[in-house]
Amino acid sequence: MFGPFRASNPLFGGLVWKIPWRLSPPQKYRHRKRLQRVDEVIDTLESALKKQGESIAAIERWRHEMPTEAEMEARDKYTMFDRKSKTYRKGVHKTPKWTRISQRLNPPGF
Amino acid sequence: MQYFKITLIRSGIGMTGRQNKVLQSLGLRKRMSIVYHPVSPEVAGKIMKVKELVTVAETDKLETKKEIQESRRPPKGFVVEKKVLGGSV
Repeated sequence: MFGPFRASNPLFGGLVWKIPWRLSPPQKYRHRKRLQRVDEVIDTLESALKKQGESIAAIERWRHEMPTEAEMEARDKYTMFDRKSKTYRKGVHKTPKWTRISQRLNPPGF
Repeated sequence: MQYFKITLIRSGIGMTGRQNKVLQSLGLRKRMSIVYHPVSPEVAGKIMKVKELVTVAETDKLETKKEIQESRRPPKGFVVEKKVLGGSV
């Protein structure tokens, strides 16, 4: 029951990492800040290139496809499509490296 | 001449090889390191590849390594009001 060889979940089954089901409010706040930071990077790139009369396809495509943080709906911000779950949604924090990737779009209708 | 001041905010560890190569080509090795690159579509394309890891500002003057270090130095915690000439008081 006690000691180094006690029978607990992590010791028995190996690695048990528990990711909470929902994001906490501070996590959501920091996630919004990260989204805004990416938006800012793109704004500065676009305005700097515009002064030189240039533009690049990657930025134009981003502008065409991706919503900004303010334009995003809450469900797209904090959850994402998951084909295996009952509601077809899971928390965005279940994605690997979710703090360093851009996950803004989901399949239409889901 | 206009420059991009690029700061690596998030580490590239565990990101794709492509993104890490882009960081390398920009000259960003450690977190919070700053590099300057002239504003051009090539550099902008590179930044787009690692946009989640960096912050960018547009400037027209370059900072030396020493100036960057100086700007990061914490306050000394005291102010010299008057210097006494001749050493010992």
